[in-house]
Amino acid sequence: METILTIFIIFIAGATGTYFLGKLSGILRSVIFITTLLVTSWLFFTAVSPDVIIEFEIMGILMSWGLTPLAYVFAIIVFGLAIIIGIYAIKAMEGQRSLNFFFANFLLSVMAMFGILISNDLISFFIFWEIMSWSSYFMVVLNHKDVQRSGITYIIFCVIGAYAMMMAIMIIYSYSGSVMIGDFISNFHAFSLGMKWLLPILLLIGFASKAALMPLHVWAPGAYSNSPMSYTALFSGALSKMGVYGMVIVMIMIVQQIPDGYWIKEVIAWLGGITSAIGTLWAIKQDDAKRMLAYSSVAQLGYIIVGVAIGTPLAMMSGLFLAVMHGIFKSTLFMVVGAIERQTGTSNFTEVTGLIRKMPWTFLAALMSIIALAGIPPLGGFIGKWMLYESLMGSNHYLLIIVIFFSSTAAFLYCYKFLFGFFLGQEEKEWSHVKEAPAMMVVPMIIMAILTFVLGVFPGLILKPINDGMQFLGYVSTDNRFWEMSTIFNDWGNQVVMEPIVYTIFAIFLFFLIFLTLKGYKNTRYVTTKDISSSGEIPREDENLTFITGFMQPFFRAVAPVMKRQIDKYYTSFGKGLEALFDFTRRIYTGNGQTYALYFVIFVILLLMFRDSLF
Amino acid sequence: MVGSPVLLIAIPLLAAFLIPLFGMVWKESVRIVPGLVLAYLTYLSASLYIEVINTDTIVEIIAGWRPPWGINLVFSPLTGFLTTIMTFMGFIVWLYSYRFKRNVEFEAAKKYFIFLMLLVAGSVGIVITGDIFNQFVFIEIVGISAYALTAFYTGRDSAEAAFKYLIMGSLSASALLIAIIIIYSQLGTLNMAEIAANIDNMNPYYRIIAMIFFIIGIGVEAEIFPLNGWAPDAYTEAPGPVGGAFSGIVAKAGIYAMVRMMFTLFDIAGPMKILIVIGLITLIVAETSALRQEKLKRMLAYSSIGQMGLVLVAFGMGTKAGVFAALFLMLNHAITKPMLFLSGSFLTFNTTEKYIKQITGMAKKMPVVSIIFVLGALAITGFPPFSGFWSKMAFLSAAADENLLFIMATILIISIFEVVYYFRVINRLFFFEYDDKISVEPHKPGFNGMIALFVLAFIVLMIGFYPSSVTGFIDLAADDLLNTHQYIDKVLQLGQTIIQ
Amino acid sequence: MESVGYYILGVIVTIIVAFMVGMTYMGLSRKITARVQNRKGPPFYQNFIDAFKLASKETAIHHGFMHHAGPAFLMVASIMSVLIIPVLNDGKWFPNLNFDGDLIFLLYIMVFGPLGMALGAGQTGNPNSAIGVTRGLSQMVGFEIPWVMALVALMMQYQTTSLVDLMAVQQTTGWLMFSSPFAFLAAVLAMLGMFRYSPFDIVGAPTELASGPVSENGGKYLFTMMSSGSIFAFAKLTLYVDLFMGGADNLIELLIKTFTIYLIPMLYGMVSPRYRTEQAIRYFWGWPLFFGFLALVHAMVF
Repeated sequence: METILTIFIIFIAGATGTYFLGKLSGILRSVIFITTLLVTSWLFFTAVSPDVIIEFEIMGILMSWGLTPLAYVFAIIVFGLAIIIGIYAIKAMEGQRSLNFFFANFLLSVMAMFGILISNDLISFFIFWEIMSWSSYFMVVLNHKDVQRSGITYIIFCVIGAYAMMMAIMIIYSYSGSVMIGDFISNFHAFSLGMKWLLPILLLIGFASKAALMPLHVWAPGAYSNSPMSYTALFSGALSKMGVYGMVIVMIMIVQQIPDGYWIKEVIAWLGGITSAIGTLWAIKQDDAKRMLAYSSVAQLGYIIVGVAIGTPLAMMSGLFLAVMHGIFKSTLFMVVGAIERQTGTSNFTEVTGLIRKMPWTFLAALMSIIALAGIPPLGGFIGKWMLYESLMGSNHYLLIIVIFFSSTAAFLYCYKFLFGFFLGQEEKEWSHVKEAPAMMVVPMIIMAILTFVLGVFPGLILKPINDGMQFLGYVSTDNRFWEMSTIFNDWGNQVVMEPIVYTIFAIFLFFLIFLTLKGYKNTRYVTTKDISSSGEIPREDENLTFITGFMQPFFRAVAPVMKRQIDKYYTSFGKGLEALFDFTRRIYTGNGQTYALYFVIFVILLLMFRDSLF
Repeated sequence: MVGSPVLLIAIPLLAAFLIPLFGMVWKESVRIVPGLVLAYLTYLSASLYIEVINTDTIVEIIAGWRPPWGINLVFSPLTGFLTTIMTFMGFIVWLYSYRFKRNVEFEAAKKYFIFLMLLVAGSVGIVITGDIFNQFVFIEIVGISAYALTAFYTGRDSAEAAFKYLIMGSLSASALLIAIIIIYSQLGTLNMAEIAANIDNMNPYYRIIAMIFFIIGIGVEAEIFPLNGWAPDAYTEAPGPVGGAFSGIVAKAGIYAMVRMMFTLFDIAGPMKILIVIGLITLIVAETSALRQEKLKRMLAYSSIGQMGLVLVAFGMGTKAGVFAALFLMLNHAITKPMLFLSGSFLTFNTTEKYIKQITGMAKKMPVVSIIFVLGALAITGFPPFSGFWSKMAFLSAAADENLLFIMATILIISIFEVVYYFRVINRLFFFEYDDKISVEPHKPGFNGMIALFVLAFIVLMIGFYPSSVTGFIDLAADDLLNTHQYIDKVLQLGQTIIQ
Repeated sequence: MESVGYYILGVIVTIIVAFMVGMTYMGLSRKITARVQNRKGPPFYQNFIDAFKLASKETAIHHGFMHHAGPAFLMVASIMSVLIIPVLNDGKWFPNLNFDGDLIFLLYIMVFGPLGMALGAGQTGNPNSAIGVTRGLSQMVGFEIPWVMALVALMMQYQTTSLVDLMAVQQTTGWLMFSSPFAFLAAVLAMLGMFRYSPFDIVGAPTELASGPVSENGGKYLFTMMSSGSIFAFAKLTLYVDLFMGGADNLIELLIKTFTIYLIPMLYGMVSPRYRTEQAIRYFWGWPLFFGFLALVHAMVF
């Protein structure tokens, strides 16, 4: 049997098994769950070849499945994250509610993402897209938190995107008689001018809603923060990338064929830039780590979209590289929050401080990921950021680069807030009982942290599949032109060579670390965080001097005008207005028989009056 | 031949009258006999349908009077398709209510099953008859049994709902009668095929007037706006399975009568503006009203009305693809909506108000029923891989073929509201804590009810994963509806005819 | 490809030069400030004495690993900057890492240190440190924008992101200070914030915050920080000289040019009162930002 089908069958069997056999024993559930992920990933990485294409017909529509090199890049993200997060989730979810459902649904989500990636036609793409939507929806509301608000917001934006996409797909189908993505691309020139604009825009709305592009991003904070963290890691890391995947295809293969399609690219790029700026600002303001990371995801996806939308080889490379990196570091951060929440019971910065000595490994993972997120060399995030900046300069985006720079500089604020809020600050008695998270949770996080480092030193590892994917999109190979195993180049031939830089950094760091440690080793001692110079007063044990409330107040005083307007509020009032309107239409049904009889008469009269125009 | 189409009407009618007699002998037979009858009807209808598909349309002539003078029954791929759905849904409703009514006393149960039989008989009659006056009679039979079923729980609200239904039903009946009179006075015939053959000879002015009165007359059963004021009340006050029967059987018969009249009787080719306009308005008003409902059944009722609007829009496109989509939507709706009504009434079994908030957190107590409810909700909102997706897709594809982008957009936007109100309920069901103060006592669903639900769920999944299992039938049915000349020819003695 | 030994030698020599020059400049700045304020002031080598005193202190306390390692992070940033910024024109000095990193890399490695140290400061548990850090980071967002605008303008105008290339350009076109005046203005105004002299010294306000981020450090920690600060100051000044003043052909020229640049924040600081953080941010988003825009427009047009 075809490997792709085998993978699907294993997924479905695994999900069913997880759900039903999980009722018997928790261990069995975990075993089935992990086995499913491992087997499918193993099959995927070893046995799925891009040449095999499966074709079949449903309702007279030809469908086709097969793996493209571009999809392979995203599939790496999906399967890689799924395994690591899966291992983490087994321990992290212990004692939570609806475990059988969670793990089965987790597998369904992964399957749906895999399905999206192997779909060569729009209908099966859409089917898997929707499966992904509802399975992720059930995860968002799984915690019974803020269900009717954040859950409904999420599903609304899901279906807005899905329906926009479906409309486009149906138009494509009825106009060209084929739903193959390849056919659509090659027949695109035959569409009328209006359709040439309408179709990509509809498709982009669909993808942008998953990628949380402004103004379709309002679901993200609620959805990301309310799902179990073990799922949010996948949600933000892999699921949102499906939107990026769609956008890559549309931006490169379709929009380029539109006359003056340049403008769509510019608009999307700017939306991406603004998304990243706004997302960053709101992320700084959050006191809850989950919401902060959610906004941060919105912002980071903004960068990715900028790269994808600019579309020069370097920009596309940076977009895809950032997508991989974001998958790695953001899911690590969500896992960190999950670990902290599990160990302390809260994810709020204002409640928990000073965990660094309690959870050192978690801190290490968080530190590495944050460094990667901030784009500071030598970790992987830097490579992506660097390529993004260089591509923006190479493609003459003078102002956009400033916006991007602003948001990535401002990102330092929340990066610091994250580390400081949880791990630094004064150590409190209240949290003195906290232990390090179990090894099954820590090891996945550490693996991811190491990955950020490895990809920072040797970006070529992941740039190679990206290059293949881009060649599939029609780019000329960028190997040795824009990147080597450890070197990256920009459009003008300037380079950053990571290897000597990294070695030097480590040499310097180790040298001074050794210097600081060895010099006066005997007379250096550790003192608690209560023993500080505080104007001669020594804080008592129960006094918490950690400064975390209103953390970045001065900064917000400076950017107050931008923060005053919030798109959520407009949506909320729009929604309220609609509900009020519908309350009115509901009153058409008065419940009074006489009124209904009156309607009857009016209807008769109306029909008689308009008989010429209606028939 | 396994039997003739007339049995589809005669047997339930006969059974309805015999049930009290059986009841005198053995009380339990009141429950069992309808089941046997409906099972037989389903079998009969299905086997006739298969035969019709394989050979040719059956035209049955009653009492030896050949058309156009006598009454004839037409069992074609279209009517067979609908009849099979209806009898099957009748059986499912019976299966569900078999023990559901055990806590109801004998007299009430007797009434319930009698009227259920009449409802099915009438609906099937509406579909397979080839005579407009005969159709009028069946519409009345359906109406009367529906009023009675609405008022089943003898109480103030039920009576009021039934009375509203009665008012609307009577008004519509008079409108329908006017239409029939106009036609008869113009063409001198009541046979549909004959009318269709001669419709061009009719004075265009009278033709339009007749059509308007037809639309109004049938519109009440077909739940079009603004003639559907009765529906929310009736669906709410009637017992749960009756809601399912209304949406799965009666509404389908109404829609059928409407489109048969438009497509065949008046032989309108091409898009029908009136159906599109009425359908869209019905859809918008119903779905937006549903968004603000507090009672579960009422919400489902509005949703049902909305779906009927959608079906009308699809028929209104007048193309093969449109009719195909409409029939597919009808099929899915006929399966899914009863599934929602039936599972919903299990969930709200122990309450009389049936507020949505009363099922808060019920999934913990009644997991299987809740999951089936969710399945139904996902299917009706068109989420793949469930059945509703394919029909929605067929619909949009048909609309796109006709370049009706505005309609596509409208319907998709309206669908967003649909998703919102269904997901609100799903949230309440699954993702809220069970709360003793708000939620109702869980009810242990009966074995038979669960089987009914499982069968429906199976069909939803089957169509969802393998839509080709039904699309072939729908395709034939759509062809049948669109080919007016073939209908005329078949009925006027060129088809496979049974004379009795 | 030079040998590793030569490379290490270059690194060490560069660091030592940077350290000496930076320390001297800081001492001079104290002296000059004192003279302007009509005080006698410490001798210019006072900073060396301070550093020596700190270095010879035997005892030290720390509040945990991040605090302990914070100064090392700081050092990484300072030394990496010095290694990437070419000291003299035409490779007359050790090339170090000049060709391995470009301006964007430099921008990022320059914030590496402050962030690392901010982590160390955070672990002390001293609220003053955290307050200082938030102020510092906020202010950084302020001055980075005009600074980046200036750099982007230069980079795009000359189609290169390499400092070496930009210096080579100036060999033919003359100082960029004159050919790109707006970029220079924006960069210089941003530099005021970068050096954290008054009026932008609220980060480590000595009186109210007990020196802010560094408040819990002493002995070897403070020594490392101080050395790092002086190396970093040298790096930044050299960067300005390289970017806008045509680089330098020998060390003497470099010293003159860097000191001239150094006078700007110093003198500006002497005559200005202190800004609050949001005032500082608004300051940077006023005229400096405007000049930054002009620089971009200039780069776009030419």
